[in-house]
Amino acid sequence: MNDTLKAARLDFALIKPYMKNICFTMALPVAIAAINRSLMTGVSFAMCLIAMTAGYPFSVSEKSGMDRLYGILPISKKHLVFGRYLYTCSTGLLAFLFSMIVHPLVLRALGEIIQPAEIYLAAVLGVFMFTLYTVFQLPGYYRFGFINGKIFMYIPVVGFLAVILFLSKLVGTSNPIFVSLIGNPIISVIAVLLVCIIAYLLSVIMSIKIVRRKEI
Amino acid sequence: MDNFLEVSNLSKSFPGFQLQNISFSLPKGYIMGLIGPNGSGKTTTIKLILNMLKRDHGEIKIMGLDNITDEIEAKANVGVVYDANCFCDEWTVAQAETAVSIFYKNWDKNRFSELLKRFHIAPTKKVKELSKGMQMKLMIACAFSYDAKLLILDEPTSGLDPVSRDELLKILSEYIEDGEHSVLFSTHITGDLERAADYITYINYGNLFFSGCKDEFVELFRIVKGGRDELTLNLSGKLIGIRSFSTGFEALIRSEDWKLFRHLDVEPATIDDIVVFTNQEGDRDE
Repeated sequence: MNDTLKAARLDFALIKPYMKNICFTMALPVAIAAINRSLMTGVSFAMCLIAMTAGYPFSVSEKSGMDRLYGILPISKKHLVFGRYLYTCSTGLLAFLFSMIVHPLVLRALGEIIQPAEIYLAAVLGVFMFTLYTVFQLPGYYRFGFINGKIFMYIPVVGFLAVILFLSKLVGTSNPIFVSLIGNPIISVIAVLLVCIIAYLLSVIMSIKIVRRKEI
Repeated sequence: MDNFLEVSNLSKSFPGFQLQNISFSLPKGYIMGLIGPNGSGKTTTIKLILNMLKRDHGEIKIMGLDNITDEIEAKANVGVVYDANCFCDEWTVAQAETAVSIFYKNWDKNRFSELLKRFHIAPTKKVKELSKGMQMKLMIACAFSYDAKLLILDEPTSGLDPVSRDELLKILSEYIEDGEHSVLFSTHITGDLERAADYITYINYGNLFFSGCKDEFVELFRIVKGGRDELTLNLSGKLIGIRSFSTGFEALIRSEDWKLFRHLDVEPATIDDIVVFTNQEGDRDE
């Protein structure tokens, strides 16, 4: 098995005891989507909540003093970092798929008609916001640890509030950002994905630098 | 390869503490005790060996492999037992095995199960529910399950009851029996080393005091006892450390000086005596 996969598996093993809590938190955005009758709000909230759990492996390993375990395992620091990013992106992907499937079904059951533009915008925004949260959170946790860097856990809350206050109001308007996103869906998706990939690359590089400098 | 661990001129500086030019080697098939008072640099040395701290100078070879450039290969042959649990508290023993085993190509599941039975550890028990002794045995079971050639123990006996300490020493003796494994055992409970260790490396506040055979180490010193009036100024200068009582004194001397003290009680020194008396130069902090 590839070292990155091994490290990601270790992270999943770390959060296994908390898996029920994480799954339960995925039910909340369904309610938010239903109350607001908005797919974009629901998906954004789901991505916000799952990004808030990105600190769990840091928290658990800090609580159990597991840096010492990482120090003896035959795996490079670089692969440990890759593994954590893979773990984080995997949880994000699962939350994304869950909310993109369940939320529209719930809204449909409530009699809402969801426009393709809203599905598309919710998806693009969900991926972009999750990336935006985690590319700052992970290096922050690596640098300060979970306890001292707890403030990074709340980055997604700020992001979600911004979505509610500003972005959700763009839907259906003639705002140039909205119009250009809707008008060029393929280019927009490629652009967003490119930005996300570049942001993750920079974030991973920063995290590896921090971890390599760190003494346990 | 004769030495499983070679440390040469190892140095590391922290604000207020320096580990300076530590050199020692641990031959294959033996147990080495790494001793010194609290804060002397034992754990720092172990962390440097494991590349958890970055060395300032020196070289470390684990089974002939550099501990930095060949870190992964070297660590695949090293087992480590800390003074406290290093697994996730919420894991069960079985989950700990699943999480750790994937990192070792030669992990033997059957051997792990056998060791759990031998150590009376239930696989369904949570790590946090295990006693300190049991947690230590779990770490040993893990190290033995991938046949770690070099076992490093950092203060494993501190906080263990005498029965568990005795059991650990038996396990270590069995481990090196085949001559294919070695143990580096850091402790400040030197009584354990009298029984188990073949070699001693004594670090005193960041400086190497001695590294070599245990018997040689003990033979270097003697304990001398006498009345207060028997201690002349000339003799006082030969004392390494002294403990005075109202009735007399007890002191550590070099064996080569024993003839000067032959009119007094001269006894063999224990490792404990040597560590205690050589640390009477005043309090120093790491």
